Amino acid sequence: MSDAALDVNGRTVAADAPPRRHLGDWLREDLRLTGLHLGCEHGVCGACTVEIDGAPARACIAFPAALAGARIRTIEAFDDDAVMASLRRAFSEEHALQCGFCTPGMLIAARDAVLRAPGPDEAWIRREMAGNLCRCTGYVGIVRAIVRVVTERQETGLALPPSPPTAPATIRVRRSFVPREAADPAPPAPAGGAVPRDMAPRDMAPRDMATRDMATRDMAPRDMATSDATGWSRVEAHFIVARQPDATWAALADFPLLARCFPGATLTGHGADRVTGEVEVGLGPIRATFRGAATVERDEGLRTGVVSGAGQDGRSASRTRAEIAYRLTPDGPDGTRVDLDVAYRLTGPLAQFSRAGIVRSLARALVADFARRLNAELAGRDGTAPPSRPASAIRRALARLVPRRRRR
Amino acid sequence: MKAAAFQYERPGDLPQAIALLAREGAKALGGGQSLGPMLNLRLARPALLVGLTHLDPLRSIADLGHAWRIGAAVTHARLEDERLAGAEMLAAVASDIAYRSIRTRGTIGGSLVHADPAADWPLALATLDAVVEIEGPSGRRRCPAETFMQAAFTVDLAADEIVTAVEVPKTTPDAAWSAFKFCRKQGDFAQASAAILLDPDRRAARVFCGALDGPPRPLPGIARRLAEGLALPGDTVERELGRLVPDLDPIALRMHAAAIRRAADRLGRSA
Amino acid sequence: MSGVGARVLRREDDRHLRGRGQFVADLHLPGQQEVAFLRSPVAHGLIRHLAAPDDARDRVFAQADLGGLKPIVARSTLPGYRDSEWHALAPGRVRFVGEPVAMAVAPDRAEAEDLVERIALEIEEWPALVTAAQALAADAPRLHDGWPDNRFVSLRYEKDFERHAAAAPVVVRRQVRLSRQAIVPLEGKAVLATWDERAGQLVVHTATQVPHMIRSGLAETLGLDEHAIRVIAPDVGGGFGYKLILQPEELCVAWLALTRRRPFRYVEDRREHLTAGANTRQHAYDLTAHADEEGRILALDAHVTVDGGAYSNWPFTAGIEPGQATGNLPGPYAIRGYRCRTECVATNKPAFLPYRGVARTGVCFAIELLVDAVARAVGRDPVDVRRDNLVPPAAMPFENVAGKRYDGGDYPGSLERAREAVGFDAIRARQAAGEADGRRIGVGFATYTEQTAHGAKVFGAWGLPIVPGYEQAVARITPDGALELRVGLQSHGQGLETTLAQIAHEELGLPLERIRVIHGDTGETPFSTGTYASRAIVWAGGAVAEACRALKPRLVAIGAHLMQAAVAETRLDRGRIVAPLAEASIREVAFAWYRDPTRLPPDVDPRGLEAVGGYRPATDTGTFSYATHAAVVAVDPDLGAVEILDYVVVEDCGRRINPMVVDGQTYGGTVQGLGSALFEESAYSADGQPLASTFADYLLPGAADVPAIRILHMETPSPHTTYGARGVGEGGAIAPPAAIFNAVNDAIHPLGAVVGETPLTPRRLLAALAEARLDR
Repeated sequence: MSDAALDVNGRTVAADAPPRRHLGDWLREDLRLTGLHLGCEHGVCGACTVEIDGAPARACIAFPAALAGARIRTIEAFDDDAVMASLRRAFSEEHALQCGFCTPGMLIAARDAVLRAPGPDEAWIRREMAGNLCRCTGYVGIVRAIVRVVTERQETGLALPPSPPTAPATIRVRRSFVPREAADPAPPAPAGGAVPRDMAPRDMAPRDMATRDMATRDMAPRDMATSDATGWSRVEAHFIVARQPDATWAALADFPLLARCFPGATLTGHGADRVTGEVEVGLGPIRATFRGAATVERDEGLRTGVVSGAGQDGRSASRTRAEIAYRLTPDGPDGTRVDLDVAYRLTGPLAQFSRAGIVRSLARALVADFARRLNAELAGRDGTAPPSRPASAIRRALARLVPRRRRR
Repeated sequence: MKAAAFQYERPGDLPQAIALLAREGAKALGGGQSLGPMLNLRLARPALLVGLTHLDPLRSIADLGHAWRIGAAVTHARLEDERLAGAEMLAAVASDIAYRSIRTRGTIGGSLVHADPAADWPLALATLDAVVEIEGPSGRRRCPAETFMQAAFTVDLAADEIVTAVEVPKTTPDAAWSAFKFCRKQGDFAQASAAILLDPDRRAARVFCGALDGPPRPLPGIARRLAEGLALPGDTVERELGRLVPDLDPIALRMHAAAIRRAADRLGRSA
Repeated sequence: MSGVGARVLRREDDRHLRGRGQFVADLHLPGQQEVAFLRSPVAHGLIRHLAAPDDARDRVFAQADLGGLKPIVARSTLPGYRDSEWHALAPGRVRFVGEPVAMAVAPDRAEAEDLVERIALEIEEWPALVTAAQALAADAPRLHDGWPDNRFVSLRYEKDFERHAAAAPVVVRRQVRLSRQAIVPLEGKAVLATWDERAGQLVVHTATQVPHMIRSGLAETLGLDEHAIRVIAPDVGGGFGYKLILQPEELCVAWLALTRRRPFRYVEDRREHLTAGANTRQHAYDLTAHADEEGRILALDAHVTVDGGAYSNWPFTAGIEPGQATGNLPGPYAIRGYRCRTECVATNKPAFLPYRGVARTGVCFAIELLVDAVARAVGRDPVDVRRDNLVPPAAMPFENVAGKRYDGGDYPGSLERAREAVGFDAIRARQAAGEADGRRIGVGFATYTEQTAHGAKVFGAWGLPIVPGYEQAVARITPDGALELRVGLQSHGQGLETTLAQIAHEELGLPLERIRVIHGDTGETPFSTGTYASRAIVWAGGAVAEACRALKPRLVAIGAHLMQAAVAETRLDRGRIVAPLAEASIREVAFAWYRDPTRLPPDVDPRGLEAVGGYRPATDTGTFSYATHAAVVAVDPDLGAVEILDYVVVEDCGRRINPMVVDGQTYGGTVQGLGSALFEESAYSADGQPLASTFADYLLPGAADVPAIRILHMETPSPHTTYGARGVGEGGAIAPPAAIFNAVNDAIHPLGAVVGETPLTPRRLLAALAEARLDR
């Protein structure tokens, strides 16, 4: 519990709710100030707009615990405000509301726009009101109402003198010059020597669906270029290990070693061809811990292997499956080139965003990091080969936390 | 859609904040305009949030003569309103971030550390050759904005380090600059973006492309052409961009190249 | 002036402007518990294991716990129609991401969500049928047991097709698609249910457009008599069709309140809405026009595929979209031969719901893009070919090739006015000159008719389990001479608290401030199927007029007696009872009836000052509104951006009861249509994961993204309705995708490019332009 106190509509209130309760919930549920509404709870729709320290802000992504000393004003506390009175009248006269759900937040944003408006400029007002969604009115009445109030205030001398023009959007070139030489960067080479690139889906991903989506044929959503028709994404990469293939091959069978090299991995158990454990993946503030199991199939003759794993993030119910195929080839007299072909699939809340490119970047960063750590581990050894393991190709049924997808 | 439980602490000063951030599961809270949604969606589940925006050293804007030192907790709205002389691009960029009621809370430092590839500050501050000031258990260090962001949502910052300020060099009177971003709708994240700084007296010519899957990318060849007053044909931009950012599919390449050309157009410099 | 036709300000406004609206989530009952749902993370699969945490077995519920609760089954009488069983909580098989699997209750929502995270769930994942094409594959698994294939229904319609097609020298084929989207009222679904011990009633406060139908649905699934349930829809934050159906979550909360005898609340959050509610608009069209050399379409051949999602909704069923699509596709055109095959296909996505415009946004998009394609094929301007194909006013009333009876209006006139309003000739000149900034200008038109306020004949033909027949309103003069109107539908932005009062004022002359409209509460109002299908003002307005008219002779009779005048010489005039030598107020009449009956005439009508008005329009096949939308756009061929430079609506909804409200409906509908055209899309991954779970992924148009829409009115009173009103609620949302795409195609067809799939994202536009470059 936090003992912060806030000023809410002129009253001092202790913010004694759990820290996770956002300002919108706190005002609505604890203080019963239900004028503000929750339309998205991720800061986009604006229905929860209130004033914090005199400026409009989203109540749904502010936390009372972090607002000690702040002054909060909600729609319920504007009855003595002349600008709000004008806006309310204009909103009604211009039919700027229908269902009324967005209206309290809209009014608080509109009042701020009126006070900052350089004039009754419709384009400016539309831009400034872009952060408050209305699903009913088509904004026509809302914009007219604000234009009307801005105009009235100018005509009656209530408005501030017209503010200076908005900040310049650009400054144009005045003269040419020869810049200090900057090295022309080469195309990016990720750390660790890995050169990942995205590829068309390979055949190994389950092929349950032969038919292509008619409705998405030419849709090509952003960053979906490497997702195939079954939802698998794919990254191909290679890296160089400063050890001969025999040593590298052995290292790749050493599960504790691999776990140390794989960012965020913890091993909880391992046999000859099966491991259990968890992988914590972080992307900015996002953290997911996938617990699961993986099996390994290796062909010593071909120096190839496939690691197939599945895991679930217990809290978000998101799941992932990955299949990593690798192939070793000599790289010079003392090195090994490891080619990786990583196919992965993510389901559940963590998958439900349109920015797959970022997930793919993460996958590539993980590969690069793995390569760097593997090299470091091997370099740290004193030249003796790690203990070898049975290396015949093994194919066994595996128990997974998540049942295997049916193949039909 | 309610956040998972977390603790909140309001440190009295920077050393306290740094000590708190060293705790397991701790996360710094700036204006919360990016973290808030992730908390509510339970994508981010810190055990402890450490509030920073009340700390005085993070709230000031100082004129260093050659540069502006902008506290990390300075809001976008304040930069929009104050229009710092010699760093006019800051106001222009700030005024186009999301919506006013986000800008009143969101902070420059928070946005920089969050490092969303589609965000405005990583691009603008790299272009302006800003320096990030970082405070940690072992003292203060400085990192160029250009290298601070390493990948999507990944920056050169340890868990117990805090970005305290960004130092933005002032432009000279003959400098030209522009920033362009293409969004599907007002306030949305950018689909493609670019920023340009040409400062003859400092012989600085910087062009960066943003809204990629990772950090903004410099385009020195294009910068040189623009500085020297050469024409910038469309296929030159596409070729240069395609060489430096090979991941881009043909449509993304076209869109990002167009953003660069639009930024150049605004300078009065393009084909 | 506050009667029919007056621009009266709304009486709903004040409470919302002060933050005093009462939406479901604003209500609070002592001891209420919050409900959160565990939802399927996969599109298709079988629950193998589901277990509550040991310490919370009494706070977590699965389908097996919901004793006595029947599944939602929307039966349709359409031939060949297949039912689906939609359980409130999935009993075993899950069929879409977001399908409720279990629920948890706790004192607050956050704690309920904590509990949801602790429920153990293992699902055996099955291949997902994400697209209609996948679901229609011969070897596709059946989504519902016992189905021979994955079609909810297949409809066929044919009239005079072969004869007219054979005579047509020009054949033009066009394939277009609309993407799936969500409906997104700003308030999502919300339910607060409790048990009223004194009334012996389950009281369900729910965000619905159709309280009486929800009561019927709850009664059927809970196994209760309807009198044991009271459904109250308080302020509702937008509906647009989303709140027309019985929702599984609604059922769960009602069951909890019924069995636990205490209040429970569920408030849908935005992620739930965008994922589990990604449920509308997804149609694919394959059209062939058979035309003459002038571009007159003689015959139309169509194959329509509706991606129906996993279940049939109740009560509108998975049959309403294909039914509406088949019937409305010929649009406002005098097409002579028509053949259409329409399928509604079950897929692993949320159940399709009827969204504002219901199917007509799709059919308008398809036929309007086809008309423009025909024009290009014959080398004429689309605006001319469109005009030549429209039903002319001289042909009214007109029964079209699909049997729709158009009841008047000047369709070509609306096109002509739109053409003038956008400055068509100047745009063509500007196009010839080119743009300095490299963008390309285009102008596009779309004309549509909208069947509104249709009744039993039409809904019956769609086979629905509940069909609207008659509408009732109760008008009661209160003892102090004011008026209460009771209507069974629900007003959630349409302004019915104002417009129905205007109608009562028109009939009785009482001032508006003495008239109160009571709606949205089964305990207070006569039965109505509710607010949908652009029916409210025609049906409820007609019923209110009838109820008021029934009161008139009773008021006059009592008034005449009070004034010692002859009834024949006494009349109601502007709210007063006027006799040759005296006047009485309604208040005096009311006083006599309620409080001083000794003064009543001996032959007084014992039904007194409360009357039920019943109404059905003169025809229940609907009255047709129509409009032409015109868009002028600038297309940026480098960025793929589309800017709307001008947008004009020329509409005819007959007599406008309140012109301000009509404009509001039109503006709002139009911007929703612009959302469908340019922004809104519920994209799915190939394995059925919804990819738009927040407003950062699912874009809604904001104030800066749309222009100041201009509306021009035509007014052709309907011959079939009270005051000649036609419905207007949905129309705005019908034409924008068609108008925008026609405008964009007008801009880019010189480059050899064409677009035909909503929404027009920069990527889609750039892909079309790139394809055109490759073709060259």
